[in-house]
Amino acid sequence: MFVKPFRYERAASFGDAAAMLRQGAGSAKVLAGGQSLLPMMNLGVLDLEALIDVTHIAGASEIAQRDGYLSIGALRTHAELERDPIVAAGQPLVAAAARWVGSSRIRVRGTLGGSLAHSDPAAELPLAMVVAGATYDLTDGTTTRTVAATDFHESYFTTSLAENELLERVQVPVLGPGWGWGFAEVSRRRGDFALCAAAALVRVADGRVVESRLGLAGVAERPKRLGAVEIAVEGADATTLADRIGPIEGIDPVSDVSATAEHRRHLARVLAVRALTDAVTRGVAA
Amino acid sequence: MTATDVTVTLTVNGAPTTRTTGGHVSLLRWLRDLADVTDPKYGCGEGVCGACTVLVDGEPASACIVLAAQVDGAAITTAAGLCEPDGSLGPLQRRFHEHHAAQCGFCTPGMLLCAHAMLRDATEPLSRADIREQLHGNLCRCTGYTDIVDAIEDAQAQGIAR
Amino acid sequence: MTGEIHTSKIEELRVVHQPLARHDQAEKIAGTTRYAGDLAFAGMLHARLVRSQVPSARLTRRDVTAAVAVPGVISVLLGEDVPNNEIRVDVPGQTIAVGALQASMQVLATDRVRFHGEPIALVIAETEDALAIACELVEVEYEDMPVVSDPEAALADDAPSVHEGGNLLAEWHIDRGDVDEAFAGAAVVVEETYRTQFVDHAYLEPEAGVGWLDDDGVLNLRVATQVVEHYRDVAKILGVPDAKVRVIAPYVGGGFGGKEDMTVEPYLAIAVHRTRKPVRMLWTRNESLLARAKRHRNVMRYRTAADAEGTLLAHDIEIVSDAGAYAYLSALVLLYSTVHACGPYRVPNVRIRAKTAYTNNPPTSAFRGFGGMQMVLGYESQIDEVSRRLGIDPGEIRKRNALARGDRLPVGQEIITEVQLAQTIDAVRERAGDKPVPSGPRKAVGRAIASNMQSYGRLVWLNDSSAAWIGFEMDGSLTVRCGVPDIGGGQASSLGQIASEILAVDMDRISVHFGDSALTPLAGTTTATRQLLMSGNATYEAAVLLRDQVLGAVAADTGQPIDSLRIEPSEIVGPDGATPLLTALQACRRRNVPIEALGTFFGPKGTEVTRDLDGDRIFPDFTFGTHLADVEVDLDTGEVRILRYIAAHDVGRAINPMSVEGQISGAVVQGLGQALLEDVVVQEGVNLTPGLFQYMIPTATDVPDIETVILESGEGLGPFGARGIGEPPIGPPIAVIPAAIADAVGARPTTLPITPERVLDAVARGSRASA
Repeated sequence: MFVKPFRYERAASFGDAAAMLRQGAGSAKVLAGGQSLLPMMNLGVLDLEALIDVTHIAGASEIAQRDGYLSIGALRTHAELERDPIVAAGQPLVAAAARWVGSSRIRVRGTLGGSLAHSDPAAELPLAMVVAGATYDLTDGTTTRTVAATDFHESYFTTSLAENELLERVQVPVLGPGWGWGFAEVSRRRGDFALCAAAALVRVADGRVVESRLGLAGVAERPKRLGAVEIAVEGADATTLADRIGPIEGIDPVSDVSATAEHRRHLARVLAVRALTDAVTRGVAA
Repeated sequence: MTATDVTVTLTVNGAPTTRTTGGHVSLLRWLRDLADVTDPKYGCGEGVCGACTVLVDGEPASACIVLAAQVDGAAITTAAGLCEPDGSLGPLQRRFHEHHAAQCGFCTPGMLLCAHAMLRDATEPLSRADIREQLHGNLCRCTGYTDIVDAIEDAQAQGIAR
Repeated sequence: MTGEIHTSKIEELRVVHQPLARHDQAEKIAGTTRYAGDLAFAGMLHARLVRSQVPSARLTRRDVTAAVAVPGVISVLLGEDVPNNEIRVDVPGQTIAVGALQASMQVLATDRVRFHGEPIALVIAETEDALAIACELVEVEYEDMPVVSDPEAALADDAPSVHEGGNLLAEWHIDRGDVDEAFAGAAVVVEETYRTQFVDHAYLEPEAGVGWLDDDGVLNLRVATQVVEHYRDVAKILGVPDAKVRVIAPYVGGGFGGKEDMTVEPYLAIAVHRTRKPVRMLWTRNESLLARAKRHRNVMRYRTAADAEGTLLAHDIEIVSDAGAYAYLSALVLLYSTVHACGPYRVPNVRIRAKTAYTNNPPTSAFRGFGGMQMVLGYESQIDEVSRRLGIDPGEIRKRNALARGDRLPVGQEIITEVQLAQTIDAVRERAGDKPVPSGPRKAVGRAIASNMQSYGRLVWLNDSSAAWIGFEMDGSLTVRCGVPDIGGGQASSLGQIASEILAVDMDRISVHFGDSALTPLAGTTTATRQLLMSGNATYEAAVLLRDQVLGAVAADTGQPIDSLRIEPSEIVGPDGATPLLTALQACRRRNVPIEALGTFFGPKGTEVTRDLDGDRIFPDFTFGTHLADVEVDLDTGEVRILRYIAAHDVGRAINPMSVEGQISGAVVQGLGQALLEDVVVQEGVNLTPGLFQYMIPTATDVPDIETVILESGEGLGPFGARGIGEPPIGPPIAVIPAAIADAVGARPTTLPITPERVLDAVARGSRASA
């Protein structure tokens, strides 16, 4: 209702958008669905002169599988990730994570690129990307560079995007044979931000973990891989997994009105076990 | 009109409507203050409560966190758009009325559109739990939700989406 | 409908008692209802408040220069610009050296702010955009003062004072019987402290309204309110005669007590008074959460004595409630806490010490259940603990101690209507059947019941009254005028139903005009579960008067005795046949018999209380009920899933069973929100819950179907024997959920909301206890 006026600009291409960002010199931001950005504008926590709408850029929304990778355009919505058969077949962890995002209204308008660039440490999609080993293609309109998801998400709402760069596309390695996935989350209410979320990918042979990738959201300044746990569970089966996992190290949860740091730390272990267990079960079935 | 104003044309419940205003104006404000379409309500401004739910080209959206300029050219349906052409209650609305699914009524327009979309898109019959799951983004503080779930379940049983 | 109705007495009813679809709902569902914020005038101005960003400070500078210079800004007003910049309220029952205690607050703070969000300046502009820019440019300099954040600490001798005269706003005492002796002879003594939180009403409609001047100089306010009588308070602020202010309450998008105190009214009035133009004021959700009064958080220390058979012998209770920064209704809310503290049970020996203290927290005031509901957590947890210690069934121990007609409450009031508490206990248990089993490993299931009592109708010494006017139109349709605000509970619709019953006019030929301080007879506030009692009875009286006038005219015309006549749809029927209604109305005109009637209902009377509560009647009557919940606890995450919820209340008579079920279901879910989710988090006076992301009310997935059982004793004081039901069902949820968790995990949470962490704490305590 009471929003200080700002300019609305519509970009026709990523080059166009990058030029607008350059011109805005820090007082402009990309509008990629706006389901986090516009609430912040309404609350008056951001003071911007312009929003650059990138959602009308043509040809930026492919979903394809080639050479062992899923290639997903940054402007794909959460709802599309949730429903797309290519995503479901190629990396079901991404589809599962998308289902946990907000309400159906948010999933219809919110985009993959928007969520990743927002880089909320409790968000589901950055976690899925980090665990899946995704890379992001960033463009300033003339040159494109590729960064790993683990390097892109730097800290609370902070990424390695340069001021005039945009996230154009995501490459996600396809889930290989013998791998299973698991995703577990606890929030205070359905659709709320995760108090903690865990994503796991596990390669199973003879019912035992051969190799795993495990990450957590909501308990550090960015989605966090848990290398020590990944090593600890090697050789475990679904029934012995939990015994291998002690208190989670290397996380730094904070207290807020939804939960204390101690509770998040407690959930980190509970959800890590749940995600890994589900992943092993699925891996055995695969 | 200033240099930053934008002209937006929307088809609101079937009526093409054009207004010029600042690019920062939300779809909700555009509808309520410029087009006098007041059935979408302001409840939170953050897309949490669902009172401002409208259909944008058929898909539910929180009108408070969508800019009118973003959806220029779209067809917008509000709860009033679910009425019969003579303004009487449409079939889904009649189920809401019969089941006492509104008390203060402030969440009702948004609830109706959420219900409409879920019934329209359902590929298999929705259980009460499914209905609740899909309602979770629309808050109600009066009914306790039971009557709303009853109304939607009844509409489904009768093959009604609108 | 997911409920059932058990009727014990019933007369022949045609319209009342029918589950009728409410007339107001059709427009709401069509989307055509114009709520307070939906009305706009061409060329109207917009107004917004600049609020304190700190909880406690002296204001050393307020500078509006930059804000006034913003294009489109008409005016920026400070406290000095308000004709009478003070709102004074009586604090009942509390005396000071010079007489009755009064509390005061400024409309706009001039030199001192006492809570985060307190209004300091009023900006009026041509557009909302100009307001967004200008409000940030009002410069306020604060000199921080000590922050009083805890009500118990506030009562310490050396605590900084929020207001001059210390932080104790009000206190109440009850002393009945010999408490110490009772404890000395008890078989079991249970002692525990319970804590409830600040709760926000979180109605979907934030505070809103439009004001304008009429041609005759009357200032009109069309606002979301539960109380049109605030026109008098507004007139005082403006310094104009009461008759020059009119308040109109359109359908309100939820009230729950949060629109009982004034919200936008004074500010809209000042803006209109100053500019002489129509003005709209909409509060954002953030403002609503920051600045409007909350439910009191209570600290409740209970010590309870019982004999070996589970008969309650004594309660020794201390209550401290957080009044926040200004008085509002805190003294009365605490009085309700005190009177309801022992619940629906006979307790012969009682000592209660209750205090409410000023802090620099958000003000606290009316909220559905009004101080009575917090106490349910205390008295129900205590009786459960007695039953556990003695090995007596929780239902049995409640029945053994239940109040009955003729018993007296600790405050002295006699119960004058039948109490069907035992029947509500049996009703929920019969409906519930067997306790469910856990859905998997590391899950535990628990079941519990909780009963309560809650008053309906206002405190008797307030001399409550309500008036309703009913008139036949010459085509036989009916107009009802009554000043009730309709806040979503069907307040207007049920009056139509009562008129329809008595005057035999179909509902679709009745118009109910409501909520207008100028044009409808004043009906009092839509608060305290009083409208059905008060305005229902006023409407009943008006309808009976009108009916008898019409029958009298027919009797005179036809020579039939009046008591042989009855009114039927469209005709008056007597031994000699039927007289068409229209003929009867013409007979009235010819014979100078009015075809309208005004009914005024006066509530029960009583004497104003003093601090030491020891008198007689204090409330008109009470409503009783019992709830049952099944929960499943996730022992690893502390998540609680409510599997089943059943609520039974004796409502006396259900005027509209669908409305009754709706009231119960809605109140239960609001109570469940308080039990498990909701918390206005205030840290050192700073509100950390600025939006509905942080302030979590239940979604459809957080609660199950609410099953209702309606008992109809026919014993209420309302029309047709109805009891009030708006507030009573909100109490039991906050007790039955911790009790069901305790049943599942072996230890009871005692602090609300029961977050997953508090659940895990109970799980740990429970496993230690059983180890």
